Amino acid sequence: MSQGRWVGRDVLRVDGLEKVTGAARYLADVKLPRMLYAQVVRSPHPHARVREVDVSRALSVAGVRAVATGRDFPFHVGIYLKDQTVFATDRVRFVGDPVAAVAAESPEAAREAAALVRVEYEPLPALFDVRQGILPDAPLVHPDLGKYQVVPWITPQAGTNICNHLKVRKGDYHAALKTAAHVVENTFVVPQVQHVPMEVHGSAARMDLSGKLEVLTSAQSPFTVRHLLCACFGLSHGDVRVMVPQVGGGFGGKAGINLEPIVTALAMRVPGRWVRLVLTRAEEFYAAVVRQGLVATLTTGVDRSGKVVAQRMHYLWDCGAYGGYGVNVVRAAGYTCGGAYEFPNVWGDSIGVYTNRPVGSAYRGFGMQEIHWALEQQMDMVAHEIGEDPIAFRLKNCLGPGKRTVTGQLLDEHSGRVDQCIQRVAQAFSEPLATRPGRLRGRGLACAVKAPAMPNDAASSVLLKFCEDGVLEVLVSGIDYGQGLRTVAAQFAAEALNLPIEQVRVRNLPDTDLSPYDWQTVASRQTWATGNAILRAAEKCKAQLFETASQVLGAPVERLALRDGQVVDTGGAGRVPITRLVMGYQFPDGHVIGGPVAAAAHHVPEGLLFLDPQTSQSAKPVAKWTFGAQGVEISVDPDTGHIQVDRVVACYDVGQVVNQGLILGQTYGGVVQGLGTGLMEELKLDLLTGKAQNANLVDYKIPTALDVPAALEASFVETPQKDGPMGARGIGEHTMIPTPAALANALYAACGIRIQEMPLTAEKVRAALREKRAKG
Amino acid sequence: MQERLDYRKAHSVEEALTLFQDLPRSRYMAGGTDLLPRARGSGQAPSRLVDIKGIPELSRIEELPSGDLRIGAAVSVAAVAAHPTVRQRFSALSLCASALGSYPLRNRATVVGNICNASPCADTAAALLCLDATVLCVGPAGPRRIPIHEFFVGPGQTSLASGELALAVEIPAASAGGRAELGRLSRRQGVDIATVAVLLSVLPQRSPRHRVALLSVAPTPRRASEAETLLDQRGPSAANAAAEAAMAAARPIDDVRGTAAYRREMVGVLLTRAVRALGAA
Ligand SMILES: Cc1cc2nc3c(=O)[nH]c(=O)nc-3n(C[C@H](O)[C@H](O)[C@H](O)COP(=O)(O)OP(=O)(O)OC[C@H]3O[C@@H](n4cnc5c(N)ncnc54)[C@H](O)[C@@H]3O)c2cc1C
Repeated sequence: MSQGRWVGRDVLRVDGLEKVTGAARYLADVKLPRMLYAQVVRSPHPHARVREVDVSRALSVAGVRAVATGRDFPFHVGIYLKDQTVFATDRVRFVGDPVAAVAAESPEAAREAAALVRVEYEPLPALFDVRQGILPDAPLVHPDLGKYQVVPWITPQAGTNICNHLKVRKGDYHAALKTAAHVVENTFVVPQVQHVPMEVHGSAARMDLSGKLEVLTSAQSPFTVRHLLCACFGLSHGDVRVMVPQVGGGFGGKAGINLEPIVTALAMRVPGRWVRLVLTRAEEFYAAVVRQGLVATLTTGVDRSGKVVAQRMHYLWDCGAYGGYGVNVVRAAGYTCGGAYEFPNVWGDSIGVYTNRPVGSAYRGFGMQEIHWALEQQMDMVAHEIGEDPIAFRLKNCLGPGKRTVTGQLLDEHSGRVDQCIQRVAQAFSEPLATRPGRLRGRGLACAVKAPAMPNDAASSVLLKFCEDGVLEVLVSGIDYGQGLRTVAAQFAAEALNLPIEQVRVRNLPDTDLSPYDWQTVASRQTWATGNAILRAAEKCKAQLFETASQVLGAPVERLALRDGQVVDTGGAGRVPITRLVMGYQFPDGHVIGGPVAAAAHHVPEGLLFLDPQTSQSAKPVAKWTFGAQGVEISVDPDTGHIQVDRVVACYDVGQVVNQGLILGQTYGGVVQGLGTGLMEELKLDLLTGKAQNANLVDYKIPTALDVPAALEASFVETPQKDGPMGARGIGEHTMIPTPAALANALYAACGIRIQEMPLTAEKVRAALREKRAKG
Repeated sequence: MQERLDYRKAHSVEEALTLFQDLPRSRYMAGGTDLLPRARGSGQAPSRLVDIKGIPELSRIEELPSGDLRIGAAVSVAAVAAHPTVRQRFSALSLCASALGSYPLRNRATVVGNICNASPCADTAAALLCLDATVLCVGPAGPRRIPIHEFFVGPGQTSLASGELALAVEIPAASAGGRAELGRLSRRQGVDIATVAVLLSVLPQRSPRHRVALLSVAPTPRRASEAETLLDQRGPSAANAAAEAAMAAARPIDDVRGTAAYRREMVGVLLTRAVRALGAA
């Protein structure tokens, strides 16, 4: 592992003290002056026409200041596909769809008034299954699909429920399949799950009497929120200010735009007043956003040597009622459809389908855990079919330098090494697994790959400036919701300017009026993008310091170096503390040279190219790939079906470890989140009413500390990323991608059963074991 | 305006009863760990909460001269689980109390609240059913004692009359001694109610000596008496027959935590295991 003075080391979180002392303030902690409380009126129907909305009784409740409906704000919103309105206008599409909202002096008044909004619905047939959604006679969730605004690289199909369809065509799949010695086809299912961030969604807005809008929101994307609010309400960027306080977790659920249009609409009705909306935990489950469901069908053709010659992937995504953000999950899953493998002949379809379920959106992994659930089980199943060891089979077919992805992109020696990750995990598993009385034990492995899914111009910019005492302020506009961006930003700045880390202060509560632009905190892109921008800005600061110092010391710039807050002439002509340079240097006679040292810089991905619209072939569709592998060891109780996870081994090629503690935190956290979705999580709907049956933390379980495996091991390969800051690439999401598939493979190894529908509940395991026994 | 919740802290039993009678839709509150989450979600939120945690006489665990153990209604589950007498003489209760929720939750929740809530999954109910406990209560009509076997009526329903306050549970001295084994399945390792649970307890001084209680498989926590008889008659060799009998006694339903079929099957698995564990001990 390469180490700098700060980068590559175990630097403590720079915001740790704030968080453990409670000094950090989150949206719900902030009581805004003369704040009104908002309550949303939500649809009780999964699909219905809205005949009439009568707010007269609601308005008569004491303390109610405004009621807003779709009639008042029939504006469309959506990041890639504008398929949603602020409030339902003519129809509602899921249980929880906002129909109106109330702003009142107290939460009680708001609730009471919301209950008095009378909505007349005409129920329509509801659609809950993507397999039915693509049939010609399926009820249409969006009859107006052809009329919505959409970015050019998303392809909704008017007259159907398909909100995006990406086709990947490489080589000649059909011809190659005919040559295959074995063909294996399987279907895999992933249900909708919820992010369950510790802090639920919340937003507040105020429009002042001059028409300027301020929004305070728990969000991952303040600048995108501003941009989309302006588009939605026809406002100028100059009149909208979006601020983000501390954020208590997002996991993708706070990406793009969420509650902000609702509070903005209310704020426009009561100029001068703040209006705040904080969801209840129940609303968070069914009315915020969820991870999309997936039905994946894979066909694999292998030749006699065990090489895959033909691979078909058919992904049907359950986007729920609106596809605003989720359409891009569909796209990412398309151009990554082959996972960590080289398939010479590919027929891939990634299809987003509307249903009357909760709204699908980004979720840590952005579709990758779901497709890897299918791909990585399939690799094991094919290996077993041809009698090969799953690890050897993977090594024979995996991507690496000189190999081509499904879009035809040629990987090189900088692209990362999944083979080395597989080998590391295999090494950790070289000892035979000890038996345990009464338990069936097994090991499974799964690989992972993911690229940042973002527009080609997704940018991060930063501002570095010095204070009088030599403290360096670093303004970054990514969101640090726990992953550690602030700390990493401080490390890069301190490294580049060779400063003590205590002398660097990261200013990071983004405010679009004051902070440098940043597209979004998603796609595991912040360390990479903001890191690059900081290094560039630091170079500019250094140049300013050296220019002044060179005149002070009478030494050429090339001979100067920064050491612990001093500019030093390596040729021996002396040194000058930066405190005497950062505001300009004053000579003994009183004249001043230079001035306040500050610099801005940005990072934009280099040389990204669009996908071919018919085949998705592209030499550089994404900025980078991060590869990895995980292995798990489990013990199965055959009588109850309970799976105990004894050990997880994870290895990722991260290019360069930036912070040893934080990367372990990301890895352990991702693994545990992966165990959650793999073993217990599923948002269940009542298929008669469309209502979530487990929209609370009693019935919807996520892991606690007691579910963390006894042994959790992480290691890292470091093949430097060419355009990464000091070689680093993204890792935040990748850590939860392979876990469920590795569990499923371990389950097969332990007891010879395959469960293709996530999660692996005890009950499913028990049923599969019984079925297996019945078959003999 | 919607009416606000009226919270009152009672300092004596009399005061609690009076505060309760004052307003319709009053509720007694101990730890509040069932009451508060439910009040938030439901349509019929209580108008007044009468907090009983500050009543000194309800805050004690006492060994009576008779050897019976009395656990006051304000005593936390954690205090019961850790109490030396409970651990030594009534281990079934300590076992079940330790399985409830999580450590912080047990510090707040009470055993009496657990049974008054009358959930089919109430962990301590399994032990109290096996130990033949009695619920002491007092209401507008005066005090009375309700055998635990008559206490649970249905999901969320007890035989307490409106306004009646449970003061304590009493466990008879004759239930002391013996051993217990709890088999409990849940979706995750902690802070999760039982998908299904079976408590087997062997009480040397009582008849039947074997006691089997089932959780989450019927409208109320319940005993499986046929299984008990079989075990009394034939000992560990009756494990399979007892398991069959317990499965037959179960009346499970399908819900988000598990299906009826799985629950019923697990009753058999858990009881067989418990018999084996106690037989081997
Ligand atoms: C996160 C979480 C996890 C949980 N896990 C479990 C679990 O694993 N197992 C389990 O069994 N339970 C569990 N529970 C439920 C709950 O914690 C227990 O039932 C607890 O024992 C209730 O006790 P309490 O003192 O908090 O009762 P309260 O909430 O105060 O009261 C419960 C009910 O009993 C009534 N009541 C209380 N005291 C009296 C009295 N003296 N006289 C008459 N009526 C009274 C109340 O009016 C209310 O209806 C869990 C709850 C939570 C929030």
